[in-house]
Amino acid sequence: MSATTAEISIMAGMNQGRWALTRFYAYIGMSLGLGAMAMYGTGGYNEDAFLYQILSIQGLIWGGTGALIGTGLAATLSTMKPSMLEGRVAPNTVPWLDGALLMVILASIAALFEPAASQISYEDQSNLIAGNIIMAMNIVFIFSAVAYIAYLFAPENFIGRIATGSAYFGIYAGGTALLLRWHESYMIDVEIGHAPVSNLYEVFIVLFMITAAVYLSFERRYQAKGMGAFVMLLVSAGVFFGIWLDSVGQADIKPLVPALQSYWMKIHVPMNFVGYGAFAVACAAGMAYLVRHRMEEKGSNSKMLNVFPSLEQLDQLAYKSVAVGFPAFTLATILGAAWAAEAWGGYWSWDPKETWALIVWLVYGAYLHARVSHGWHGKALAWWAVAGFLVTVFCFLGVNMYLSGLHSYGRLT
Amino acid sequence: MANMPAMNAFSDLIKQLWQRLGSMSLAVILLMVLSIASVIGTVLLQNQDQADYLNQFGPLWYWLFRALGLFDMYHTWWFLSILGFLMLSLTACLWRNVPKMLKEMRNRKGTLNERSLKRMELRKQWRLAADTPVDALQAAFKKPLHGWEVSAVEQDGTTYIRADKGRNHKWGYISVHTAILVILIGGLVSVQFGFRGNMGVPEGKMEKTITFSQGTETAYLDMPFQVRCNTFNIDFFQTGAPKEFRSNLTILEDGKEMLTSDIIVNEPLYYKGVYIYQASFGDGGSDVTFKFYQMDGSQKTRLASTQVYKTLNDPETGLAIEVTDFRPYNVENIAEKFGEKKFKDIGPSIEYILRGEGLKPVKIKAYMNPYIDADGNNQGSWMMVSLTGDSKDYQPVSLGIDLTNPKEWQLYHAFLSRMNEQQGTQSEKANLQAFKLALTDVFGTDRPDDFQNMGVRTLQAVRMLPQLPWPIIPMLDDFNHVYYTGLQLAKDPGMNIVWVGSAILVIGLCIMFYLPHRKLWLVIRSADGVSHITLAGLTNRNQLAFKQTFNDLFTKLDEEFSHHKNKGSNNI
Repeated sequence: MSATTAEISIMAGMNQGRWALTRFYAYIGMSLGLGAMAMYGTGGYNEDAFLYQILSIQGLIWGGTGALIGTGLAATLSTMKPSMLEGRVAPNTVPWLDGALLMVILASIAALFEPAASQISYEDQSNLIAGNIIMAMNIVFIFSAVAYIAYLFAPENFIGRIATGSAYFGIYAGGTALLLRWHESYMIDVEIGHAPVSNLYEVFIVLFMITAAVYLSFERRYQAKGMGAFVMLLVSAGVFFGIWLDSVGQADIKPLVPALQSYWMKIHVPMNFVGYGAFAVACAAGMAYLVRHRMEEKGSNSKMLNVFPSLEQLDQLAYKSVAVGFPAFTLATILGAAWAAEAWGGYWSWDPKETWALIVWLVYGAYLHARVSHGWHGKALAWWAVAGFLVTVFCFLGVNMYLSGLHSYGRLT
Repeated sequence: MANMPAMNAFSDLIKQLWQRLGSMSLAVILLMVLSIASVIGTVLLQNQDQADYLNQFGPLWYWLFRALGLFDMYHTWWFLSILGFLMLSLTACLWRNVPKMLKEMRNRKGTLNERSLKRMELRKQWRLAADTPVDALQAAFKKPLHGWEVSAVEQDGTTYIRADKGRNHKWGYISVHTAILVILIGGLVSVQFGFRGNMGVPEGKMEKTITFSQGTETAYLDMPFQVRCNTFNIDFFQTGAPKEFRSNLTILEDGKEMLTSDIIVNEPLYYKGVYIYQASFGDGGSDVTFKFYQMDGSQKTRLASTQVYKTLNDPETGLAIEVTDFRPYNVENIAEKFGEKKFKDIGPSIEYILRGEGLKPVKIKAYMNPYIDADGNNQGSWMMVSLTGDSKDYQPVSLGIDLTNPKEWQLYHAFLSRMNEQQGTQSEKANLQAFKLALTDVFGTDRPDDFQNMGVRTLQAVRMLPQLPWPIIPMLDDFNHVYYTGLQLAKDPGMNIVWVGSAILVIGLCIMFYLPHRKLWLVIRSADGVSHITLAGLTNRNQLAFKQTFNDLFTKLDEEFSHHKNKGSNNI
């Protein structure tokens, strides 16, 4: 066990104090450097080429310089004002940024194994490797769900670690695959190239990643491992849907319709899925609450109750997820309105997708009112979190499948 | 005098109504009613053609739905009243709570009565030596609380040290609710003082009026300028999917050219407060020429010209051809195996409805070019025929011969007459003999290379063409293509108000969710030679995280205070 403890403490040390602050500033510096490259670098900003500019020598120079300046600044500032080391922002943000960087590195490595350019064609995309990584992700997420469920019945530390580890693996596989898919879309044809958030198949992967990531951050902070089974069950259900989408030929990289050819897509869509993912976690917490409540009511003294978070904790976790999801969803809807204003001539058209987004927003808005101002707690709100997610699923899937409107590009064909 | 009680009763009623309006229950109910009402408008397609509605629902339901305004639901008086109520409720809620909140935020009372202290969920206690200096305790308390506002007061021998973080939390609440009011007001301004409508401009033409639907009717509005569409272009991906729709527009005022610019989807043009968006496109009334292939065996063909959206009446046959669409490109997947893809432009097509006396009206999409399969073989001319008039029911009809090649039309007739000469002997051998003779009739000794293929197709034509009930086959012979560009024009003076509201909303939500108001007290009271020290904490958000912070603080203080410990720490 001592090796594990040491490992954990090293990990923890990496994400705290001087280390965290330095990396945080380095990341900010790097982003600013790349931003400066977009504005002043040779060639300027070109929507299609920027991804590669970042990964080129030029990107390395601009981003690297920014990162170095950031590091220097962090060292100076933290020496001058040691109290800065106690801020919470850097330690909270840095693990996410590390993860993103790791995904970029993994994707860059995986890109080396892509078939030669002459082997790649739009007509037959089966030789592209992002598909294989996505399949691995699917398997790992399902495995993770199984492990989390096993953990409920046999709360061994070992099983719990496997469950958590595989969930992390799934996130990295998903992120790597999506970045790779981005690259692949350009390899097929520079004209086709676009960010991998353009169809249902791709956004599903984004949804798995965000749901799992939001949950894992809670698991780490609040020891809520018993909830994992519920979250991963939801993710697995999504995984099966994704596999079905693939089987009916919805997984191919397709060119973007003109309406989606906008930088807004890269902002609006992922932001929306932060909301959806957080609402999924809230739903899982609600389900866990209801299960535990039921067990307690029946006077069960199952061992499972020991690994379950307490009712109060689950209640709080559901609220916390909504507190993450609600502002993100609000922002996403506003960004969508801004895009609509630019593309369709009005920020609000009562299009079915828009209207359902409003309904989702109202449902969670009412949830917050009931909780914060009415002091509702417990079972009723747990049901609300579950029902709210059903409404969310309809907004996300049902609208595309059953209702027509301006968002019909998300449609199954 | 007698009026007074009544007046009081009235003002009481108003007061009570006002109270009710601002109540949380009403707000939650309004939110739920609004969402349920919104669902109706998404299930029932809005602003469609009235005839479609009538067809879909039948007269009874149609009139009921129409009376309730469900076909343009989001603009009905009752839907707008719900929104109005929401605004009223918000105003009442803000009116009632803002002064309270401002007062609470200003309140920096350091003291804490015994009862409140006991009620706090997070509470720890120590007993220290009575001579423990308060300053040292305060310093120890302050040290880990980086970024907190700390103040101390003394009252009746008890020292209260209070630390606050996120004191402005209530501003979150105020700004979120104000923001929603602002957004709704912005929406109201947009509806009242803005417009949004469509304009279709054929290439080379000018247009001044936009159309938009108002309830169940179509309304018109003249713009202060004219829009001319110089050109409209579509770019395609190799897959045939459209890549870009581009219109080149000129804005004119009183005949004077003011501005010429390109617009594409996502990149509108702005002129004098009006945004002009690329919204759709279609055929702008292209000139088309049909070639009628007469089926009476005379081998004759005739040309007839018309335009898209017009009906061509053929006096000779009494047929009416209503041209509904023309497409200069048709990129299709021509791969033969299922699941494979091979995209190719199979050429122009014309869509028309064919009507005639004693004929069932049919919808036809005729392709100008013969079908060339994936291996490059000519499969002859073809068309899609829908017996119901619905595009979903299109069935391909292969005409066999390639009508663009006059020789094949001749060959077909030669074959027919050679077969007639054989007086009905229909053996394979006889067919082959007849075809050989027909080939010689048309081509002499100079047989084309693919005559075998031609033979198969001519045989198909002999089987298929006599089955067609029409006296002529109208095929596309020539065209002069014109697009129309579908523009959307909008003026929206409320938009900026909405953006301001949105910004306030997001900032307010962040304050509300991420800057909880946390309060900590260190209460120091000396009695009986012992210093009783209580650490208490209170937050309005995120109990879990605060509990952790509180416990961390407790551990740190416990360590610090251990030097001063009296009779052992006595924690609760």
